[in-house]
Amino acid sequence: MNRRVFWILAAAVVSLALLAWVLFGPGRHAITRQDMVEGDAIPTPTPAPEQRVMLLFPGSDGLLHPELRSVPLPAEVHEKVRTVVLEVLAGPTGNLQPVVPWTAELTAVFIDHEGTAFIDLTAPPKPLTGSHNELMLAYGLVDSILLNCPSLTSIQILFGGHEIPTLTGHLDFSRPLVLNKRFIAS
Amino acid sequence: MIDPAGTHMRKVLIASIIFLLGASLLPAQVDLHTVEFQYAGRGVLVPKLGTRIEVIPILALIGAGAEYSRAAGTYVVAYGEKRLQFTPGHKLVMVDGKLLDTMDAPVPSPGGVAASLDFIDRSLLGPLGFRLDPIPQGYRIVPGARFAEPVTVRAAAADFAATTTLVLTLDRAVIAEAESTEDGGIVVHFDDASPRLDPGTLLRSRRVRSLTSNGREILIETGADIGLLNWHNLDDPPRVILELGRVYPTPTPAPARVVERSGPPPIVIDPGHGGKDTGAVARTGLNERDLTMSVARYLSAELRARGHAVRLTREDGEGRALTDRTAIANRLEAKIFVSLHANSSTFSSVKGAETYYMSLDDQATDEAAAATAKLENEAGASSDGRSDLDLILWDLAQASALNESAGLAVAVQTRLNALLDLRDRGVKQAPFVVLTGATMPAILVEVGFLSNPTEASRLGSAEHQQALARAIATGIEAFLSEP
Repeated sequence: MNRRVFWILAAAVVSLALLAWVLFGPGRHAITRQDMVEGDAIPTPTPAPEQRVMLLFPGSDGLLHPELRSVPLPAEVHEKVRTVVLEVLAGPTGNLQPVVPWTAELTAVFIDHEGTAFIDLTAPPKPLTGSHNELMLAYGLVDSILLNCPSLTSIQILFGGHEIPTLTGHLDFSRPLVLNKRFIAS
Repeated sequence: MIDPAGTHMRKVLIASIIFLLGASLLPAQVDLHTVEFQYAGRGVLVPKLGTRIEVIPILALIGAGAEYSRAAGTYVVAYGEKRLQFTPGHKLVMVDGKLLDTMDAPVPSPGGVAASLDFIDRSLLGPLGFRLDPIPQGYRIVPGARFAEPVTVRAAAADFAATTTLVLTLDRAVIAEAESTEDGGIVVHFDDASPRLDPGTLLRSRRVRSLTSNGREILIETGADIGLLNWHNLDDPPRVILELGRVYPTPTPAPARVVERSGPPPIVIDPGHGGKDTGAVARTGLNERDLTMSVARYLSAELRARGHAVRLTREDGEGRALTDRTAIANRLEAKIFVSLHANSSTFSSVKGAETYYMSLDDQATDEAAAATAKLENEAGASSDGRSDLDLILWDLAQASALNESAGLAVAVQTRLNALLDLRDRGVKQAPFVVLTGATMPAILVEVGFLSNPTEASRLGSAEHQQALARAIATGIEAFLSEP
């Protein structure tokens, strides 16, 4: 073995030793690699049983009218709220009007320890007018959620990720709203 | 001499060494896509996605449980008694029931959810009581939040003859101190806490104009010549009690914009909307802003002709904040507040007049009044000379204003139905902003639907507007004449 081969072999040994030190040397914490979250971090939901929900939509008399619909209704309250809101946003099947008069999406649901749910909708593309439209939107959502999710006490509607003082200059949206049956047709 | 076997051996050896050296470099290349986090003697290499980092391994490292609801799209993080909720794609985080705004939103990722370092530090680890300290390999998670934790502040005010007691109730015990500022305002400083005013806070005070949270302070704007007389802290629940009152003589005249009353208590009429805010608009072009102004003028003339003092909350074309409108009525110590509006519906068939008053069963009204009275009692308000009777009378006055509003609403709606043969859409209750905080009987009248072509046509005529004004004035007089 000549001198050149010796130096090449020595360089290889040093490289391997360096690699071993980097990966397993002293002074290092036990490092685990987290390339992907294991499957059990995101549990697969079990199919929810179908249940009837009561959804409220504005009618030609200016009041909210119930529409009964069978939907898979999860037991977990976040999911239940989301299910009800998505059904309301999907609109009525009969002669009633949509509660939200623009193509809105539900972007988040939060629930606090006092039973207040915060639902965030995409903001209206243009200003709405009329206290009537504001009341139908507010209580069409609030009453639909609270009638189907009895563990909740109040609902605050957010728009575009923000708390807003009012939508059309009348109703107070800056705080949670409670069940108000005065706008439901008897 | 050329040794072919030796040359071949040498080539194989060199190729092997190059392979080994190349292999040793591979982990370094992978490290460009990971960042190390350390906590309590353990470390984890967490994948990076551009500027964002996978969140779940970091939460797992500190022992926080993270559950994901696929249907709701929400992560619920539990660490000890702390509960935190966030949604990929959303800038709000709920921490122990309070919503916090964040600078950016976490995003869905192969590992579940990824977020910026700032989000992880400020909005996830901070609320859980940790912070990130940079180290050469990445970051070390250490106990102790970098950012001041929020403290929710609920304010309530009680006006007495010469002073106002402002009670700031905190949702956790923190050190808070109040002082007067050089410009005549009042500031409450919080030690290592970011005050956040409860959105449900309602102030009913002639002397406190507004509260604003700013960093670690709450700024209190008061009426002219009103300042801080004294303050103190109370426990169970933690509170800051501020006594406000007149601290300066009044040599300077009031600014022109300040509404001052002369003469008897007026009836305050509020023409809805104003300025650039036109409100609802009919197909004919008639808008709510102009219609309510016109009806307000007729109503003002009608009431003046019947011997009442009247003030309007805005002049022609002028815009005014909703809260200012009620504040004007409060400052003038008005005997009645009437807000005029015109409605709109997606159904063009919907028509009729409606009269609203504040919800009796809603949290805002009852809670604010009750909470103030309760807090005042707890604060030992009688210790400085006021009697418990003052508190009881104040509480009764608040409840009375709501009950009287119901009576006023019925009186006005009945006249609208009878005199104009309008379809009765009835008296209703709803938490309208403009009625919030009114300390006198207060109603909101929707005189009709501009979205109904027939009704819009009628609402555009001066005769109909005068008839509406007469009906409302008659209702007001009937209410005032009730024993």
